[in-house]
Amino acid sequence: MNKILLVDDEESIQIVYREEFEDEGYQVISALDGASGLEKFKTEQPDLVILDIQMPGMNGVEVLRQMKMLKPSIPVILSSAYQEFKRDLGTWASDEYVVKSGNLDELKATVAKLLKKG
Amino acid sequence: MPELRKDPVLGRWIIISKERRKRPTDFLVEVVPGSGGFCPLCPGNESFTPHEVYAVRNKGAVSNTSQWQIRVVPNKYPALIIEGDLGKEGLGLYDRMNGIGAHEVIIESPQHDKNFADFSIEKMALVFKAYQERIVDLSKDQRFKYVMVFKNHGKAAGASLEHSHSQLIALPILPRMIVSELAGAKSHYNYKERCIFCDIIRQEIQFKERVVCQNDKFITITPFAPRTPFEMWILPKRHSSAYFSQSDADILALAEIFSESLRRLCGCIANVPYNFVLHTEPLRSGGLEYYHWHFEIVPKLTSIAGFEWGTGFYINPLPPEEAAGYLRESLENTSGGIHDEQDIAG
Repeated sequence: MNKILLVDDEESIQIVYREEFEDEGYQVISALDGASGLEKFKTEQPDLVILDIQMPGMNGVEVLRQMKMLKPSIPVILSSAYQEFKRDLGTWASDEYVVKSGNLDELKATVAKLLKKG
Repeated sequence: MPELRKDPVLGRWIIISKERRKRPTDFLVEVVPGSGGFCPLCPGNESFTPHEVYAVRNKGAVSNTSQWQIRVVPNKYPALIIEGDLGKEGLGLYDRMNGIGAHEVIIESPQHDKNFADFSIEKMALVFKAYQERIVDLSKDQRFKYVMVFKNHGKAAGASLEHSHSQLIALPILPRMIVSELAGAKSHYNYKERCIFCDIIRQEIQFKERVVCQNDKFITITPFAPRTPFEMWILPKRHSSAYFSQSDADILALAEIFSESLRRLCGCIANVPYNFVLHTEPLRSGGLEYYHWHFEIVPKLTSIAGFEWGTGFYINPLPPEEAAGYLRESLENTSGGIHDEQDIAG
């Protein structure tokens, strides 16, 4: 079973994503901020990370660059409600950038594609 | 008393606030440490960027591998997309079109920590040559009217990665700033039958007080009505409206004066954040008698606040004559000093 690490400071997002991705057959672990997300990344060894950008403390782009330094091959999807973070070239370290919406079809398809590729 | 000054090309007024006059040491630059971590622009990480559209590679090196000196790649997450039609239409009194364009990133060095101002002349010339090559290539696409080249250096100037890079955006419309600049230059030409920038260069060489440095082919000045302290313009002395048409010798001379100008700026204010923008003629213009390509270097030392947004006036606490003086003095002991007075060519 593939393990997904979800890092997002919105608890409601965590609840919805966990339910949807567990229904798809994934194991979901989660963190509410960048620092604890990095810790779980090290201890839990996920197969893929879904990472919010705007979070208190360390933002998602910084977390992304730390994760990729630890394990360059880890697939990471940046997931944000905002398009404008794409202007930050630090986002290039991600494998995909998916704009958040109420419909998770695109995110699910992206997760499936990256895990298949890996 | 504060002084109001009008930019002769744009007609833009700025306020020189002598009451708030500052010296270089008064400008506090926040040194933001590099965030570290993985860099998608570094050699070895080519798979994290789209395929390159231009590169200067070591002899025998394969595309999209790590043996490179300069790489130009499309933006991974572009705001404008290259494929499609413009689809121009009117919606009542409003105009719209599809977001067609090209957005590219010029990765200027394989070295993550190397600042643009510290590049060798030859290395800087390679970057300026890359701008030329990309402008020539993109000008073949009839949908594009203008290619904007710019660089953000330092977090305060909008650079999100420490790794030295500049950017290029090909647009299906002319940016408003360029439209205004062309109109101002045309208006002067209609009246005097001379290029206003050539007139500016002649006058600045004659007056000397705003000249920062010059070589045979280029001059750096602090403009009469600068938006920010230490704003500099680098202009070719010979009249030319098209950046892409410069010879290799011109590009080398440009790199020399650009390097010297930036080193003078950094000598005044260490770690200064800045933006520079290339101003050149619209694509396929065929050479304009009334326009003159140039670079504008704008240090990010003052903030744009409500007054500037509301009025369009910039407040500058350092007269450009004093800024030029500081810049001239900042490399006193190097060989890159001011050359003797020279006449404008062409």
